[in-house]
Amino acid sequence: MSTTALIEALQRADSAAGLLAATRELACCGDPNAAPALVEVLGFNNPGAAVAAVDGLIQLGPEAVPALLQLDPQNYGARAWAVRALAGIGDVRGLDLLEDALGTDVAASVRRAAAKGLGQLQLEALGGDERTLVQERCLTALLAATGDGEWVVRYAVAVGLEALGLQLRPHQPALHRQAHGGLEALTEPTREEVLVVRLRANVALTKLEG
Amino acid sequence: MAALEAPLRAGEPIAGEPTAGTPISEAEAIERLRQTQDSSQQYYGAWWLGRMRSQHPETVPLLQLALRQRKPRDPGAGVEENAVARNAARALGKLAPAAHAAIPDLLDTLDDDDDGLREAAARALGELKAEAAVPPLCRRLASGPAGAGALRPGTPRLQEPCEAMLEALGDIGVASTEVLAVVEPFVGHERPLIRSAAARTLLQLSGEARWAEVLLELLDHPQLQVRRAALMDLGGAGWRPALGAIERTLAENSLKLIALRGLVEQGQGEPGEEALLACMDALL
Repeated sequence: MSTTALIEALQRADSAAGLLAATRELACCGDPNAAPALVEVLGFNNPGAAVAAVDGLIQLGPEAVPALLQLDPQNYGARAWAVRALAGIGDVRGLDLLEDALGTDVAASVRRAAAKGLGQLQLEALGGDERTLVQERCLTALLAATGDGEWVVRYAVAVGLEALGLQLRPHQPALHRQAHGGLEALTEPTREEVLVVRLRANVALTKLEG
Repeated sequence: MAALEAPLRAGEPIAGEPTAGTPISEAEAIERLRQTQDSSQQYYGAWWLGRMRSQHPETVPLLQLALRQRKPRDPGAGVEENAVARNAARALGKLAPAAHAAIPDLLDTLDDDDDGLREAAARALGELKAEAAVPPLCRRLASGPAGAGALRPGTPRLQEPCEAMLEALGDIGVASTEVLAVVEPFVGHERPLIRSAAARTLLQLSGEARWAEVLLELLDHPQLQVRRAALMDLGGAGWRPALGAIERTLAENSLKLIALRGLVEQGQGEPGEEALLACMDALL
């Protein structure tokens, strides 16, 4: 079926199961023209279909980013899914949204996705200065979130700091030290009460030092 | 499945609603609990002190007083003292080791007429690992699924808050023949959530894989609520061989992450930490 036909099938779906099936079909097609329709599914309050749409958007990669950034910021449920998609794609155009989500979103599930995403932005294509600026912003946002009230967000911050720290190690010793310091704080029993967060931060430190 | 930490439950007053969202200080929370004019303020103060893990020397004594403040239920009376007592019990569960002084008060409330209060007290005694609670919990459950587990006519509730009481026995961890004999019949209860709680407790106490099988089967249950409970119970028991099944369960990543945290923190053996953490990373 053509992408147009798949989109029409999605628009005709009149049940939760039908929407899920049609979203899965469209998510597999690999055509960037599917992105706006997949983004629309994020706002339908159908978690199964939203998961399929997020997978499809991540598969499309950078070509899905413009559609994701056009999302209505008031559409709260859709925004949570969009953060996950942008975190998975790793496109630097998602930086503003990820920063904002980690710092201000009320849902821990959104903050945790944003924290992971801030560690895995793809920065190879950027020039040196611009790359450093982006890395500094990611680092600042992640370090601030080491004090998040939810353990799962702090866990994701450890994952994000590990990925970012590995990127920083060869050329940015000062920023690398800051990422290292943030992880050390997460291994400190007097500061971090949750065992699994301390364990994950320790694994991250071992990787950064290895 | 352990109760979520929400301050409010159906049928309870919306305590201090205008201020509930505003951050208050520990001193303010203590004052709200201490005064006795406005029980909705006491309700909020008790919740706050538990949620924030207050270490203040007055916290536990005031929560003990609040527990003793309970009265026979009177649904027509608006905000009830029992709501304060229930929140005080929940808060005490979070305040070990200081709250060990309150164990006798919690044991008293296990005989209260209010099953909601018995439920909160059972959970708190489990969290405090109060071995003194084992005989009274066993006594209340001894009549089995047809007695303690029977439906109370005209309500959706059981005669005893079985789920909380079974889980408390698992958390306390006394693995005697008597305890196992009391818990085992509940694996045949008609409600899947009770079966899940019983299997979790037996798994915690005996470590026998046959009880994990009960939970793994419930991960495929058609109802999401049951799959969620089985996830929490496998996590609570720390049953690491469940890793693959947890990963495949149709449920939210948030719950899988909580279950996997349980496998890391409560469990041992294979799969090891590296595999567990890698799976958690992928679910973020």
